[in-house]
Amino acid sequence: MTHNSINGKAKPVGEKWVWLTSMGLAVGILMVVTLLGLIIRNGLAVFWPKPVIRIELQEDSRFAMRGTNVLGGMIAGTRDKIVQSVESQTGRQKQYEQEWHIMLGNKDVYGSSFRYIDLDAAVSVSRPPRAIMVERMEYGNAIGIPQSLELADGTTINANDPHFDIKLRSLVENVRKRRAKIREIERIQIGAINHELQQLRIKEQATRRQADASALSEIIDGINAKRSELTAQYEVLAGRAAELRKLQMADRFHFQLFTGEFHSFPVGNMVHIHYPNAMSFGDKIRHFSHGLWAFVSQEPREANMEGGIFPAIFGTFVMTLLMSIAVTPFGVLAAIYLREYAKQGFFVRMVRISVNNLAGVPSIVFGVFGLGFFVYFVGGSIDSLFFKDVLPTPTFGTGGILWASLALALMTVPVVIVATEESLAAVPRGVREGSLALGASKWQTIARCVLPASAPGILTGLVLAMARGAGEVAPLMLVGVVKLAPSLPIDHIYPYVHLDQKFMHLGFHIFDLGFQSPDSDAAQPMVFATTLFLILLVVLLNLGAIIVRERLRRRYATGAF
Amino acid sequence: MAIHLMRETDKLKKMVLSLAAHVEENVRNAVRAVTERDQALAYRTIETDHLIDIAEVDVEEECLKILALHQPVAHDLRYIVAMLKINRDLERIGDLAVSMAERAIQMVTKPKPHTTFDLGAMCDRCEKMVARSLDAMINRDADLARKLWLAEDDEIDKMMAEAFQKVEMEIRQHPEHTEPLMNILSVARSLERIADHATNIAKDTIYMVEGEIVRHRKRKIREKMAAENIS
Amino acid sequence: MIDQVNEKPETTLKAIDWNFYYGTNHALHDISMDIPRRQVTAFIGPSGCGKSTFLRCINRMNDLIDGVRAEGSLLLDGQELNSNDIDVIALRRRVGMVFQKSNPFPKSIYENVIYGLRIAGVNNKSILDDTVERCLRKAALWEEVKDRLNHSALQLSGGQMQRLCIARCIAVNPDVILMDEPCSALDPLATSRVEDLIAELKQDYTIIIVTHNMQQAARVSDLTAFFYMGKLIEMDLTQKLFTNPGVKQTEDYITGRFG
Repeated sequence: MTHNSINGKAKPVGEKWVWLTSMGLAVGILMVVTLLGLIIRNGLAVFWPKPVIRIELQEDSRFAMRGTNVLGGMIAGTRDKIVQSVESQTGRQKQYEQEWHIMLGNKDVYGSSFRYIDLDAAVSVSRPPRAIMVERMEYGNAIGIPQSLELADGTTINANDPHFDIKLRSLVENVRKRRAKIREIERIQIGAINHELQQLRIKEQATRRQADASALSEIIDGINAKRSELTAQYEVLAGRAAELRKLQMADRFHFQLFTGEFHSFPVGNMVHIHYPNAMSFGDKIRHFSHGLWAFVSQEPREANMEGGIFPAIFGTFVMTLLMSIAVTPFGVLAAIYLREYAKQGFFVRMVRISVNNLAGVPSIVFGVFGLGFFVYFVGGSIDSLFFKDVLPTPTFGTGGILWASLALALMTVPVVIVATEESLAAVPRGVREGSLALGASKWQTIARCVLPASAPGILTGLVLAMARGAGEVAPLMLVGVVKLAPSLPIDHIYPYVHLDQKFMHLGFHIFDLGFQSPDSDAAQPMVFATTLFLILLVVLLNLGAIIVRERLRRRYATGAF
Repeated sequence: MAIHLMRETDKLKKMVLSLAAHVEENVRNAVRAVTERDQALAYRTIETDHLIDIAEVDVEEECLKILALHQPVAHDLRYIVAMLKINRDLERIGDLAVSMAERAIQMVTKPKPHTTFDLGAMCDRCEKMVARSLDAMINRDADLARKLWLAEDDEIDKMMAEAFQKVEMEIRQHPEHTEPLMNILSVARSLERIADHATNIAKDTIYMVEGEIVRHRKRKIREKMAAENIS
Repeated sequence: MIDQVNEKPETTLKAIDWNFYYGTNHALHDISMDIPRRQVTAFIGPSGCGKSTFLRCINRMNDLIDGVRAEGSLLLDGQELNSNDIDVIALRRRVGMVFQKSNPFPKSIYENVIYGLRIAGVNNKSILDDTVERCLRKAALWEEVKDRLNHSALQLSGGQMQRLCIARCIAVNPDVILMDEPCSALDPLATSRVEDLIAELKQDYTIIIVTHNMQQAARVSDLTAFFYMGKLIEMDLTQKLFTNPGVKQTEDYITGRFG
């Protein structure tokens, strides 16, 4: 009887549940892997060079453009489309046809830069080895066959010239340096002068309002003198910038489009060039890493569809940091009161339930609250008290990074409170008693023993809060996020940290690219790439907090029992 | 803990009882060998003494084992300690029975001397004293033990003194009977010492039951008892 | 009767008809006892008998629990502890406590020892250094940890932690040290070190120890008090209590024949 269980025939009861539970895990893992895989693949594929093809179409093809049956570009994607459905005896038969999504580039010539072409319509497809792809400051990419370089001194280098390529690359490099210099002059030096001029204007307004007539003219004179001095400085700088700009326009690049036209533009417009069909694997890797770095470090261009996402990364980072700084003390203090001081009872239980439910309030509600309370009420009050001089232009009375951070802090505070309360409760009673028995007051006990011991748990709460806050978009749209911010929230101009500044955010950037962009075809790869970096940023922030937590945990490792 | 300890003390009790029975029998045999001049009985007494020796070692080992393994306290502790000491007394009583038996063998070879000292009475009394002290131990009877210690022991001491006086005088009167008279004195001496050991057993019984060490405090306790009786 | 020590030792702590309630639960009934100065007094008794409760009355640790109430009188060197006027923080500096589970703070060994001084506002480095060495030496821990005073106290072994807790306790220079089953989580070797330490500390401090281990009470204490159902059944010299207890209940308890 009792031996049944070990002779192999009898099976333990309930072991099938293992399958059910493991199924749950498997589905979860599958979802995560699929999501991350899709985003990583599509996000990174943006930077991998794709070949440029030249397509010869059938005569009179409906895809022909500009009176010729030849066109070319980069394959942005392929898909099968249903051509027609045929009723037959076996049911509905569907016929598929492959369709290529071609990026034509040269928006300045063609108007639109994408085109769908049925593969059936093509007579021949080739990859011209000399095809060049030029990333430009304006009008997107140029794709074609290079013809010649028309230099400022009147000489022309033909594309067949062996030095052509070297010259072109050195010119692009020069152009890049000059552009950086122009940027330096315009953004930083002229920016500083503009800032001073603005301060002068504010000062002037203030003086006009307050000082009496006799002193007025004297002060105004001083201001005007200073202004003219600044204006002179400005003129010099502006002149230098204009000179450099002129130099940028000096050399011209001539090339032929696949559709046959000849076209040219100044080398100053070039950002990066490559020959997609003549690249070795190493070249491709180099191009990939260059593209990735440019994406991370540069500012966006052309309605965010080109260039990089640096301001958005930076804005997200600063906002998340500010939010953490705001949410941690607030949440921790609240949790300390709830757990350590408050007399446990009905009221405290209600408060706790309310706090937990606050975590479930839709985030847009916090956006509306932030707009109504922080922006209009608090910000408006601050403006009328401290920034009277610049009114009616609002300083804090409009959306800004501070209000956005505070609104998100409010949204994530329940997470921190709950996590902190849990970790406070997990501190062994013995530690508290030990401290009290040595004559410590309750606050001394909390500050010196309980909080250090619960720090890892508090940081766990912060990690969760950051993960939620960094990815939130909806409330931000009401309290300060913008499509394109003129400057960063932290920069070189005094007082360095601009809490009133509007800012860019990766999440909103994704939304903007995906739904608001004038050319959704061009924006689509950017959506994936930006998403990838949003995820990366959240992972990095969390990793930082986790590392701190592990270090604390090792330091305050709980004893053997 | 309690059940283990109880099992061990029960075992110890059985061992001590068996030892006590053995010793009691040897004392009885030695006394009979002396009073009835029975040489065979005397030899048997001598031969069986080594069994007592073995049993004594066993009891001691058992006591030490209990002390080491159970670390008894309170009455358990007093019980084990009393058993250790009573064990030693019992063994000594056994040895004294052997020396009495040896005297008995010698006495049989000589004619029975005439003496006014009643050795039989003393034998009787000592034998009873051993039996009663063991009864007190077994029954945890502190009152009986106290009576033995306070009264009986003195009686036997008196008898011993009397034996001394009488035998000394008779040796002086009949020097030719010195050897048998010395034998009688020697037996009386053994009996007196048996009674002393029985008294020790009684005192250890009092300690075991009441937790009070009464040795060397006879007078004090007598005075106290007298005072209690008066009040 | 066993002769008493000739000179009757001075009483440090005196309880007179002490009653203690957790809400409606009457935890201690009419406890009266004298605890002598610079001696070790052990409290024994079955779980829930009130011995720990009484111990925690002495440094008012029971204040942390809601709804407790005390009646009677508890005098520490003549000062009434059952009073609202008493400065609990000052009292706890005079009456140190070592707990059942060693509870070092999540700090370095050094900071653990001087915790009591730090919270009292002592920050003089030389005083703190001296205290650390003196107390760790007294707690027989100095040789083992002198090279790693800045390591986390939580890396120590169980026995070392408990000795650290004792060092921490004597750093504030108390009169009385309460020990609530200080060795119940330690192995025999660590236990014996703590017991040796108790014998050392006896010269300077009045020690009250609660223990479930009767052999321990027998080994370390001068006096033993037996509690049962919230009542003090018997208190006597340890030697007397363990060889010849006066009350049947005590005898039954210490010989394991209870119930």
